[in-house]
Amino acid sequence: MPTLAHYLIVSGLLFSIGLAGVLLRRNILIIFMGLELMLNAANLSLVAFSRFNLLSDGMPNYNGQVLVFFIITVAAAEVAVGLAIIVALFRAKQTTHVEDLTTLKF
Amino acid sequence: MIQPIALEIIVVCLGILLLMVEAFSSKTSKTPLAYAAILGLSVVFVLTFFVQPSAAGLQESGFYVLDPLALFFKRFALVATIVTLVLALDYLPIVQRLVPGERPGAGSGEFFILPVFTCAGLMWMASAADFIVIFCALELVTISLYVQVAYLRRSIASLEAGTKFLILGALSTGFFVYGITWIFGTVGQTGLEAIRQALPGVPEAAQPAMIFGVALVLVAIGFKIAAAPFQFWVPDVYQGAPTPVTAYLAVASKAAGFVILIRVLEPFFTVIAFQEKLFLALVLLAGLTLLFGNLAAIPQTNFKRLMGYSSVAHAGYLLVGLAAIGDAFAGRAVVFYLCGYLLMTFLAFLILVPVSKASGGDDIANFNGLARRSPALALAMLIAAASLAGVPFTVGFFGKFFIFEAAMKQELFGLVLLGVVTVACGFYYYFKVIRAMYWQPASEDAAPVQVSVLSRLAIAICAVLILVLGFYPQLLIQILP
Repeated sequence: MPTLAHYLIVSGLLFSIGLAGVLLRRNILIIFMGLELMLNAANLSLVAFSRFNLLSDGMPNYNGQVLVFFIITVAAAEVAVGLAIIVALFRAKQTTHVEDLTTLKF
Repeated sequence: MIQPIALEIIVVCLGILLLMVEAFSSKTSKTPLAYAAILGLSVVFVLTFFVQPSAAGLQESGFYVLDPLALFFKRFALVATIVTLVLALDYLPIVQRLVPGERPGAGSGEFFILPVFTCAGLMWMASAADFIVIFCALELVTISLYVQVAYLRRSIASLEAGTKFLILGALSTGFFVYGITWIFGTVGQTGLEAIRQALPGVPEAAQPAMIFGVALVLVAIGFKIAAAPFQFWVPDVYQGAPTPVTAYLAVASKAAGFVILIRVLEPFFTVIAFQEKLFLALVLLAGLTLLFGNLAAIPQTNFKRLMGYSSVAHAGYLLVGLAAIGDAFAGRAVVFYLCGYLLMTFLAFLILVPVSKASGGDDIANFNGLARRSPALALAMLIAAASLAGVPFTVGFFGKFFIFEAAMKQELFGLVLLGVVTVACGFYYYFKVIRAMYWQPASEDAAPVQVSVLSRLAIAICAVLILVLGFYPQLLIQILP
């Protein structure tokens, strides 16, 4: 039977993988995938907290689960705008690598 | 009497209505949209005076609070958006040149409409009393700003700025959400008021998890207010974004970040166990931000980049004010500083737009000889630079003075010393602009600088207010919440 700790460990791993992807990878699309992983890590632990820390009447705390819906929606909006920007950048520069973003410098 | 939440709903409806008009009208000129948006927001601004802030503050649901602070920041957001739209009107030729479209004028209408949605998000943020609402409002602001920053699709600088803003903004969202998760996990609540009540009952063993959550939220807000060491996106984004959006980012987005910071930290400051750690974090952030912002601004040659570093430096002074929040006056000092910051930043950008349109660039060198080309603009810029630097008899001086005074009372002598030293740095780099205007000859081919009537009005109002509040700061302090 998995406990709260198991879920939190998985979500911590997801968050770390996402963060590592953002910091270490050089392709903007992969960086973007890392960002989505970070958001989903938060979703997983929110649902776990809500499911395991029951209120006094034995019901889960639905605030956390409502927040998950908002996060999913906002993440979708962010992807829509983000991919549009990346496509526009690719049209202008023919690249999706962060090393090529050098127009703005000291 | 109107319901408080009606204000935001009206603003959102205004935005949707304008979008519809934009989509279905066949007119090629998009300026009526901007005038309609300015008019609509002005009406909402008037309406804010008919809303009664409730003393208890909290609505029944616990999601929405309307205290005087919230109402004040709603007006702040509305004014900032209106001035941004005035700037955007001036900036329209550049937008039309750099946005591809099949018909003339295509694609420039949304440039006036997106700020309206951002404004709605800012107003919601001012009233948010629950992490769910804070998150949604924050994202409404951030996502609409992504589009605005990357708006000039033929300008590689704008696209690059947009991409950087997108990645770092989304990263800070990730931190924010994960932080909320841990706070929710330990306290079992998302409402700030409920968290305040539940905090003393948090068991000793759960406190590290709690601190982890608060730290992540602090990092995320640090990104939004451009505090060092989370400021690295600022110079690039400020330089690459369209100038009106840069001004909007500098003022509105920063103010919103500080409102959230005040609201989120408030419950945690009531618990003795967290107080010291939070205080230490704020002091460190403030010191780093002051140092970095002021030192890195010194060698800059691009005016927008200079304003980016200057905005980091101003975030540092504001953080000093927050670190001194124990003092009764510190809260008002921070709000006073933000108001002064709004005036002087918008004044600088209101002058930058016509100047760079006439001389074709955003560098400090483009200001060369402005005093002879158009003395009035140069004088206004002189006032803005003096106020940004904190010369006495400007609003910028009193902003810094009140914050340092509050910090002295809280015995933060190190921070005050650092603040005074960095103010001296500030004099140097703002003086570069003044030197360019008054002592450098203008280039041969410099075109005359033309300013639209609305901009002239806005410039005059900002400049006069900076001076008046520099002599009589109590005029503003009286109406602060």
